[in-house]
Amino acid sequence: MSPRRTETGGRIDRLRTIRFTFDGAPYTGHAGDTLASALLANGVTLFGRSFKYHRPRGLLAAGVEEPNALVTVLRGEVREPNIAATMVEIYDGLVAVSQNRAPSLAWDIGALNQLGGKVLSAGFYYKTFMGPVIGPLKGTRFWMFCEHFIRRAAGLGKAGTAPDPARYERMNAFCDVLVVGSGPAGLMAAKAAADQGARVILADLEAHFGGSAHWSGETIDGVPAADWAQRTVGQLEGNDNVRLLPRTTVWGYYDGNTLAALERVTDHKETPAKGEPRQRYWAIRAGTVVLATGSFERPLIFPGNDRPGVMLAHAAERYAVEYGVLPGQRIALFTNNDSAYRSAVALKKAGAAVVAIVDVRGDVSNEMRRLASEAEAELLAGHAVVATEGGRALTGLKVQRFDATNGALSGDDRSIHADSLLMSGGWSPTIHLASQAGARAEWDPARQAFLPPRPTQRWIGAGAFTGSFSTAEAIAEGRAAGLQAAGGSASSAPLPIVEATPGDPDPAPVFEIKAKGKSFVDFQHDVTAEDVRLAHREGFVSVEHLKRYTTLGMATDQGKNSNVPGLAIMAEALGKPIPEVGTTRFRPPYTAVSIGSLAAERFGDLKPERLTPMHDWHIANGATMYSAGLWYRPMIYGLAGETVEQAYVREARATRESAGIVDVSTLGKIAVQGPDAAEFLDRVYTNMFSTLAVGKARYGLMLREDGLAFDDGTTWRLGEQDFLMTTTTANAGKVMQNLEYFLDVIWPELKVTVTSVTDEWAGAAIGGPKARAILFSCVTGTAVDNATLPFMGIVHGRIAGVPVMICRLSFSGEMAFEVYSGAGYGTRVWEALIEAGKPFGLVTYGLEALGTMRIEKGHVTGAEIDGRTTARDLHLDWMLSKKKPFIGSAMMDREGLISPDRLQLVGLISLDNRPFNGGAHIVEELDEANPHDSIGHITACCYSPALSKYIALALVKDGKARHGTRAFVSDPLRNRFGPIEIVSNHFYDPDGSRMHG
Amino acid sequence: MLITCPYCGPRDVIEFTYQGDGNRERPQPASQNLDAWNAYVYDRLNPAGDHNEIWQHSGGCRAHLRVVRNTLTHEVLSTAFARGGHKTESRS
Amino acid sequence: MAEHQLPERQSPLEPEYHPGSHGNFEHGVDVILSETRPGSILQLAAWAGEEKRLIEVVRKVTGLALPDGAGGGVGNGARAAFGFAPGKFTVVDEAEGLAQAFAGAITPAIGTLTDLSHGRTAIRIAGPKAEWVMAKFFAIDFALPAFPLGAGRSTNHHDIFAQIQRSGADQFDIYVFRSFARSFWKALCHASEEVGYEVQ
Repeated sequence: MSPRRTETGGRIDRLRTIRFTFDGAPYTGHAGDTLASALLANGVTLFGRSFKYHRPRGLLAAGVEEPNALVTVLRGEVREPNIAATMVEIYDGLVAVSQNRAPSLAWDIGALNQLGGKVLSAGFYYKTFMGPVIGPLKGTRFWMFCEHFIRRAAGLGKAGTAPDPARYERMNAFCDVLVVGSGPAGLMAAKAAADQGARVILADLEAHFGGSAHWSGETIDGVPAADWAQRTVGQLEGNDNVRLLPRTTVWGYYDGNTLAALERVTDHKETPAKGEPRQRYWAIRAGTVVLATGSFERPLIFPGNDRPGVMLAHAAERYAVEYGVLPGQRIALFTNNDSAYRSAVALKKAGAAVVAIVDVRGDVSNEMRRLASEAEAELLAGHAVVATEGGRALTGLKVQRFDATNGALSGDDRSIHADSLLMSGGWSPTIHLASQAGARAEWDPARQAFLPPRPTQRWIGAGAFTGSFSTAEAIAEGRAAGLQAAGGSASSAPLPIVEATPGDPDPAPVFEIKAKGKSFVDFQHDVTAEDVRLAHREGFVSVEHLKRYTTLGMATDQGKNSNVPGLAIMAEALGKPIPEVGTTRFRPPYTAVSIGSLAAERFGDLKPERLTPMHDWHIANGATMYSAGLWYRPMIYGLAGETVEQAYVREARATRESAGIVDVSTLGKIAVQGPDAAEFLDRVYTNMFSTLAVGKARYGLMLREDGLAFDDGTTWRLGEQDFLMTTTTANAGKVMQNLEYFLDVIWPELKVTVTSVTDEWAGAAIGGPKARAILFSCVTGTAVDNATLPFMGIVHGRIAGVPVMICRLSFSGEMAFEVYSGAGYGTRVWEALIEAGKPFGLVTYGLEALGTMRIEKGHVTGAEIDGRTTARDLHLDWMLSKKKPFIGSAMMDREGLISPDRLQLVGLISLDNRPFNGGAHIVEELDEANPHDSIGHITACCYSPALSKYIALALVKDGKARHGTRAFVSDPLRNRFGPIEIVSNHFYDPDGSRMHG
Repeated sequence: MLITCPYCGPRDVIEFTYQGDGNRERPQPASQNLDAWNAYVYDRLNPAGDHNEIWQHSGGCRAHLRVVRNTLTHEVLSTAFARGGHKTESRS
Repeated sequence: MAEHQLPERQSPLEPEYHPGSHGNFEHGVDVILSETRPGSILQLAAWAGEEKRLIEVVRKVTGLALPDGAGGGVGNGARAAFGFAPGKFTVVDEAEGLAQAFAGAITPAIGTLTDLSHGRTAIRIAGPKAEWVMAKFFAIDFALPAFPLGAGRSTNHHDIFAQIQRSGADQFDIYVFRSFARSFWKALCHASEEVGYEVQ
């Protein structure tokens, strides 16, 4: 029998024993235990070391707000740090370790930090490491020296470095009503909404629905509240309109009633089922949200309030009633409100001795006095705890007389022997989601709490979330909220009857007991009450500045416990009431969210790949693939032992000598159809398309509205009202969007349809002196001679029995043809062309050879059409029609765009026979050590097999006038400086005799 | 944030592409008034409050929409096809 | 025309298409995945105001009575049609050659016809968990009242455009760009592992 486990009671399954380890030591617990309850049952009091001072810490809470008991859970090589032990459900084989300690939790060297406590007070980093360097031990240089040690000493768990093999998924959900929180209010709301026929999602971050019903000890409808909750959940489970999401934290409330939630699907399982994700990220679009998120009990701030054994009162009650675990044998309580009295009675019933109830209020109601005697506890009204004693576990406490009206302590202190001290500093509604959704919270002086703001989105609050702390109110508000959310009318039917311990929901306005010693406000970031006052003394009066200076509320728990006490202490220091100090707005996420869940399916090889119809052929035939945007394209088809340069030089040379074939299926293709298609093209291209004959293609250039070059490509006229536009691979989407914009917004009167047909067609470009002969040998149904298929002509025929469309155009500068077929026939046509090309020495070539041949020809691509160049800069001004306006025509002649010193497209030849690099600059002076006054830069470069030289395209100031002159390439990062000659961009076959044949 | 496409209904903002200030007026294509062109290409209103915007439902039906959106609250007040026709009032 | 003599088209899914049961199927498969490989996938677009005439043409050519209204659709097993954008419709036929059947009927006064038979890949997901798996990909409401039988939707999964038609109470036909089809298929199989799936 575990030392702290009660004989009976709790939701745990005592017949099932679970085995796990913590810090390497084996433990057992029961099914239904959390790591926190199981360790507590085993007598473990020490759970972690604190952030800055390495103070021993135990459990403070029993739920999601736990700041101290953070552990790292190990699964194989994967470690997940900073998980609250209160949220870890144990399973067989669970391996958990404590954090921020060396060498062990019990003996921690870092605890020496406590001795230097003053040094590490608020603003330590700013004061020590900012500002000018005065002497060796100051300023950022000092920081760089100290950083390593400080980062090791201060902190939380360590992240792992092993890749996480777990699966994460994203799920989209829609509902009429999303209920967040499944205590009595949430259950009533879900039930009421579901009964109206609404689509309901009920989410709770705990493993079991019911919230406080599991440990309140109350009865609802004549049965224990836990049984009522179970019955209600059963009814919801039977309703097809209801989706129940346990272990699901709704962590973000965004615009448009869109909420983000994280479901921990298999974190509680030893092994997930096949395909089961570890976590699921839910994006929920809700008609109306019912916020029934309950409230957090606040700690009291007094010296030694962080000692292991000091716990929130309701947490102890929960451990006792829900898990059958007593936090101690001799329990004392310290409170400023009535709720702790119920806890005292519950713990007494569970078998603990309640030695004292210390209440800051001098005036305690008769009802509470009755409860104190029921718990057989000594009631010390008008007293406060001023110190705690013990090391890694509590051994006792000291109390003194206390005046709640002025905070004064008086009289001698008195020692009380206890192994557990439970505190209650009042309750704060869990308003985080409402705060995320919009407006600011409002301070309620009676409840001494921030209550939810007026909704700015469609949500309704219910229960403790609204400051209604009794279960009877929760049930009434829950039903009303559920009905309203589902569009139903208010009900006058009787509500379930609640039997509960009475109590006044309003606490005494006491947050801190000022006595000697460290009183912690933010347990996780080790921020003390004195730190808050120090921040005030140093002039940080805004609550936002306070937060940043002290890091109060900035730890992983985001100030769930510390927010209000911190503000109260600040308010007192300022001499202002709390509402005037204000509060910070809560931001998502409510709790820590794994990055994996946000990435979800966008992980590893599951990001989309765009593949051409011939993709598998390329792979099977030795292509090295290259990702271009989402597309995968062959870079080279390398032979054994070839370098990339050797491969592309071979491919380009063979193409110019005989023939080469390249997959051009990735080119953007847009069907432009309709009676006004030609007119539309005249408006979007700089040159004329209405004059283009059916069966012919034309090279076109588009500008942007500001007159700069946008994209280029050929457009084919397939019919009077039917054009096939091609775009560069990279710009396909942008061009499509631009065309759609003009048709929708600017010229809606034009009858034109634009459709992406990129994927409809497989494209193969075959070029070289033998290209026509190859086509001649395999194309049927049409001639391919010069008369039938002139430059820029289009014919229809068949290859390997399937219809093809062939256009004679050239990117390589050779006599070349683009052969298009239905994508489903792409490989068939490709293979037929390869087969037909064998006798002619046809080679396949990839992007590198394609780029090489286009550089030799001086054609532009996205590297030159870079959003800064004009048509003139690229020597494409011959394409600017003077007969018609077109997009960009009004703006393209602005002064800055026609200035003579603009960068213009030129060719470069390496005179030292060394390769170029893209991005290298061109300078005029031979000054390698201090290159200056760049006159331009390289956009593309290669070794040219046609010229047997390293060449490049470049944008150079007044480049055309520099043809034939010399300059230098300067690329200091790659240690390259050398002489170059500036030439025309048309390196190869400038008159085009090869392609015109 | 949700935008109600007049064709597809309410959809998540990730399905949409912002296509600029909806208050701009494009000069006649043949216009040589550089000031007017300059205003069209470069001038943008940046109101704190209701703003006329063009959005494309690029991840859906691809229609361009005229959207009135409050830049302070992200509330979408109305949406309509840019081509004209159906308009959806969204303000609750 | 000699369309019937055309060879079989290559599926973009081929190397990743593995008929049989996969994933967590020990307790049965909850979705069935298949590529339906229709012979014809057409896009019909009507000029503003001509939608009704176009719907009439669809009825005459295919026998399908397209309901008027955003996203309205209909199917009869062999053929299906649905609206996916203002004035735009996708019409699908098991058989090849539907474009030729429409060629004379869609006059320039009515609108345009674009043949996408190769450019789009049709993937069907059916079974009790079809909605569940679809919800992993698309941020649209797949519940029957929100997405009625026959209706069409345009949406996307990250960079992958999709047109979706509900072809049964628990069956959806997804039309994706051919170049993305294999990637989408792999993701679809991956996402279906949890519920157990069969490829037919």
